[in-house]
Amino acid sequence: MYIYDKFDHAITSERVAEFSQQVTRRLAGELSEDQFRPLRLMNGLYLQLHAYMLRVAIPYGTLSTKQLRKLADIAKKYDRDYGHFTTRQNLQYNWIKLEQVPEILAELGSVEMHANQTSGNCIRNVTADQFAGVAGDEVEDPRIISEVIRQWSTFHPEFSFLPRKFKFAVTGAAKDRAAIQFHDIGIHIVKNDAGEIGYAVYVGGGMGRTPVVAPLIKPFVARHELLSYLEACLRVYNMHGRRDNIYKARIKILVRDLGPVEYARQVEEMWPLTRASGVDVPAAEVARIQAFFAPPVYETIKEPVAAFEESKKRDKAFANWVKNNVHPHKVPGYGAVTISLKPIGGIPGDASSAQMHQIADLSDKYSLGEVRVTHVQNLVLPNVKQADLFAVWQRLGEIGFAESNIGLITDIIACPGLDYCSLANARSIAIAQRLSEHFADVDRQHDIGSLQIKISGCINACGHHHAGHIGILGVDRAGQELYQLTLGGAGDETASIGTLIGPGFTSDDVVGAIDKVVETYRGLRQNAGETFIEAYRRVGPAPFKEALYGRR
Amino acid sequence: MAVVDRAGPIADSWTRLADDQAPAAGATVIVSFARLKNEHNSLFSAAGKVGVEIAGDVKLEELEPFLPRLGLIVVRMNNMRDGRLFSIGRMLRENYKYAADMRAAGDLIPDQMLYLLRCGFTSFEVKDGFPIDSLRRSVAAYTHWYQRIANSATPVTELRHGAAHGGEP
Ligand code: SF4
Repeated sequence: MYIYDKFDHAITSERVAEFSQQVTRRLAGELSEDQFRPLRLMNGLYLQLHAYMLRVAIPYGTLSTKQLRKLADIAKKYDRDYGHFTTRQNLQYNWIKLEQVPEILAELGSVEMHANQTSGNCIRNVTADQFAGVAGDEVEDPRIISEVIRQWSTFHPEFSFLPRKFKFAVTGAAKDRAAIQFHDIGIHIVKNDAGEIGYAVYVGGGMGRTPVVAPLIKPFVARHELLSYLEACLRVYNMHGRRDNIYKARIKILVRDLGPVEYARQVEEMWPLTRASGVDVPAAEVARIQAFFAPPVYETIKEPVAAFEESKKRDKAFANWVKNNVHPHKVPGYGAVTISLKPIGGIPGDASSAQMHQIADLSDKYSLGEVRVTHVQNLVLPNVKQADLFAVWQRLGEIGFAESNIGLITDIIACPGLDYCSLANARSIAIAQRLSEHFADVDRQHDIGSLQIKISGCINACGHHHAGHIGILGVDRAGQELYQLTLGGAGDETASIGTLIGPGFTSDDVVGAIDKVVETYRGLRQNAGETFIEAYRRVGPAPFKEALYGRR
Repeated sequence: MAVVDRAGPIADSWTRLADDQAPAAGATVIVSFARLKNEHNSLFSAAGKVGVEIAGDVKLEELEPFLPRLGLIVVRMNNMRDGRLFSIGRMLRENYKYAADMRAAGDLIPDQMLYLLRCGFTSFEVKDGFPIDSLRRSVAAYTHWYQRIANSATPVTELRHGAAHGGEP
């Protein structure tokens, strides 16, 4: 894990002091709400339907157990005893008092955390592959360059008032678990023919009302030149991105309007200027950061691990959980456990203070004290010995997080929707809960196989419905909440945008409609191994349309 | 309207010339960019010092030929959220090597001025009653930075590896 030095600490505490006096000036009336708004947003503070929401950054999704315990304690002391893990690897508190925010930020600072730039028209928290450092298919741990980017983007004097928000995602693996092509900039760590590590840069992806899969803008940027290249990308956007229409202000619109080739040309033209400013960090600094992500000391373990294999044979439920929730580890004898924050009928991504403490205890005992957050709103224990998996599973069962549904139909992403969000057209959480109950049967879930449902309460697409194999979008039709279905989206390295399948369904009918889609898939798949998305890509929307709306 | 720098109010010797107004001999004047382009010869010979006001859509390569002789550039943004100001400032300083006074104008708040200073601005045009205390506090809010920006302090990425602390702010 990265550990703050005196400079990081100084910057973090100076930020708390600065925001503290900004709050005082707001309360005294020196700053109007209009003037205060961008300042509070850059400190992660939103005004929601019922209260302030504070969004805490979990940079590239990595947490120490000390940090997780602090998040739990803050939830207990300042909020309603729970927190909500989001699709951007952040944690949100939904019931916060403005006056207490400086105090909360100071508490976060004490464990090397912050809420910097988790909102506002600036560079947001950098997200990365949740299996960073433990996945076998990795060129380099993405957290190294993510931390370089985190520092570079923190209080960047030029890019804090961009036309719109700006999101980075990084993966170092062949399999994209960070949905990089749905970000403003997606970085794929690659090796060139000479064996040097560098970065493929994708620009202009995003969700929202205009979903776009980001085009590749530069296949290889050398490691020591990445920041100046990124500054060139950002500067072209800052100078030419649209500021007249909030819905056209993201970089995806600029890249689309210019065309990727012309955008890339303008970036190339700008690059010598940013390079000349000397923004690229010295190699010694990258090496310093890299050292923090050196692999922990693992035991030498010979596979197969007898006790583990034995438990799987004895206990089918455990075997199911291993199959779905345990990812292969690059070190023999270990596994990376995904803890499902999607208990049947629960709220996706929510964890109580007690549960956070229990997970921290588990990680200290079994996973070298580290926890990860995934963009699918689950948690990960990255370093569990196979011999300990059975004990971990049992303990998770006791705290209600042993659902073996990772990647399955009840591993649903849902935005806050009408329960919290002032922009919502419809409820998202309630639909997720009902779907989860409808498909609760474990055997049926396993039979259906890999299937991602993603739900957004409005066209802003915070629930990533465009990238769901089945996407659900809440719309408002003459005062009635309706749900439209999109099929065929994907957020991985085969990124695609789902297609709207037809008119929306009422809240009462939407679960039945999803059931029809699922049964149609089961009826037409070529064999049990053909997943929903593979089958959909083979047959197209027609059979699903017919099942939902009849022959036309 | 008042003019301030990082320390507080400063005297402003510049007068703004309407496009049809002739400069008094030896005067210190701010003109529009259109006028500068058309009349630079006569302006530079008549006036004592010439400044120009530009907006966010400026083409810096058109401004470039005049830079060595300009005594002031005013960059005006009517909305505090229009961040083109910051890029224009950096490019003028870092790439075009513009060295004289550079002034940000528009609906700015004190909390933005540290960033503007770091991007190379040296003065600000503000409304009367601008909170000077907040300005002074805001520009002194941080001791260190992560980024290497020309004209500004040595970033921590270099301090960590033995570089000497230097520069402002
Ligand atoms: S998608 Fe819409 S309803 Fe859901 S959180 Fe985003 S803005 Fe709110």
